[in-house]
Amino acid sequence: MQTTDTLKPTEVALLYQSHHAWLSGWLRSRVGCHEHAADLAQDTFVRLLRARQASPLKEPRAYLSAIARGLMIDQFRRRALERAYHESLALLPEAEVPSEEHRLVILDTLERLDRALHTLKPRTRQAFLLAQIDGLSITQIAVQLDVARATIERDLAKALGVCYRLRYVDL
Amino acid sequence: MSTSDGAPAQAQVDQAIDWLVKLRFDSPSPRTERQFQQWLASHPHNPKAWQRVSNLSDELAGLPKALSRSTLDASQRQRSSRRDHLKLLALLAAGGSLGWAAREPLGLPQLLADSSTATGERRQLHGSDGSRIQLNTDSAIDLRYSAEQRQLELLRGEVSLDSNANDNRPFRIDTRVGTLSTRDGQLLLRENDKGLLLAVRGGEVTLFPASAHARLLHAGETLQVQANGNLQAVSLHSDPWGWTDGVLSVQQMPLGEFTAELSRYRPGLLRCADDVANLKVSGTYQLADTEQILQLLARSLPVRVDYRTRYWVSIGAA
Repeated sequence: MQTTDTLKPTEVALLYQSHHAWLSGWLRSRVGCHEHAADLAQDTFVRLLRARQASPLKEPRAYLSAIARGLMIDQFRRRALERAYHESLALLPEAEVPSEEHRLVILDTLERLDRALHTLKPRTRQAFLLAQIDGLSITQIAVQLDVARATIERDLAKALGVCYRLRYVDL
Repeated sequence: MSTSDGAPAQAQVDQAIDWLVKLRFDSPSPRTERQFQQWLASHPHNPKAWQRVSNLSDELAGLPKALSRSTLDASQRQRSSRRDHLKLLALLAAGGSLGWAAREPLGLPQLLADSSTATGERRQLHGSDGSRIQLNTDSAIDLRYSAEQRQLELLRGEVSLDSNANDNRPFRIDTRVGTLSTRDGQLLLRENDKGLLLAVRGGEVTLFPASAHARLLHAGETLQVQANGNLQAVSLHSDPWGWTDGVLSVQQMPLGEFTAELSRYRPGLLRCADDVANLKVSGTYQLADTEQILQLLARSLPVRVDYRTRYWVSIGAA
């Protein structure tokens, strides 16, 4: 973690004092639920602590609301994925249903993968899934998608780079 | 970039990823493997970078195939397509209340669907490409055209498509169980509890199931596509195209199945008692008047129709 280009904790504390109430109100008007808004406001400041952002903030409210918007969208996506996961589990033959613990681990991994896939171009996404999930080789994928092997190699490297950041860097 | 907590620098990570692509997704030559060993030893941070990258790939490779595929595909469809996403952003930016909790049961994608029908409703659409699309009861689709392709996404229910073959762009159809592609296809898609019923009346249609090989379908084929992508032959007791002409046309259909079919077009509950569920129904019925169909049943079969309320109807032995 690079400590030099994040906000100082004292600064975040000051921002919290000045803008937390405003942010909670802003969120409440959007999500329509008091508790949900309070959770999101909390998460916004946690995210702020980790954000790579040199101080000071010029437009703190614009920045806070941008983070909060991102969180709302993340949450919407996560729910969509969870719903899809449970629907898929329900359709699985009994013998293939993983244990409770394993199910959560899989969901966690799928959630990260889903977020990564969303940032990729369709062909990159397709190539990556064919390689990582379906276990096809570069040659097989190149034939299936009708592009050069070097292109597939680049696609896979790009996708892995995104997954790496989500797994180890932008926690 | 230097790091203090032992995390490998970006350059090492990028190199490790390149090696992983070569070693894991290709058949590496002994020479490649030797070069990899040299790379590994060439910098103190390289083994750490390699370990992280290969763990990451192991994690993904360990995911159960069918479950992961169907989850990711469904999630892609369920949540915003690119365009819905922009709508979502617009909503958030507009500052209006999204009313998250209140909208949850409906789901954002359905609220944003281009076309939908209520229970009992049917609708015909004319695409700007000259294609004809019909939505059956309780259905929703998204339709979009770009310079490269025509695209229909089945969000819920049942749809028939007569793709205009004079348009050269491929027609792509996204469903819960996979993607279809055609140029001149006349086809019907119906979501059901097992996956998707697919019938082709004309032209050629290629099916790309979520997790199985592509398959070319010809006129006259009717198939059940299961959620895992497997295909199953079906024998139907009804004409799947009947509703496009406003009728339910059945041959020797068990009453239980007939009742389930009919209930798709009626709001409320429609139940059939077990002891009459195997009586056979044949004939062609007008969907516009489901009350009349119920009365016809009572006249032609040894059953009676009980109305507990207007929206709670049960069929039992006479």
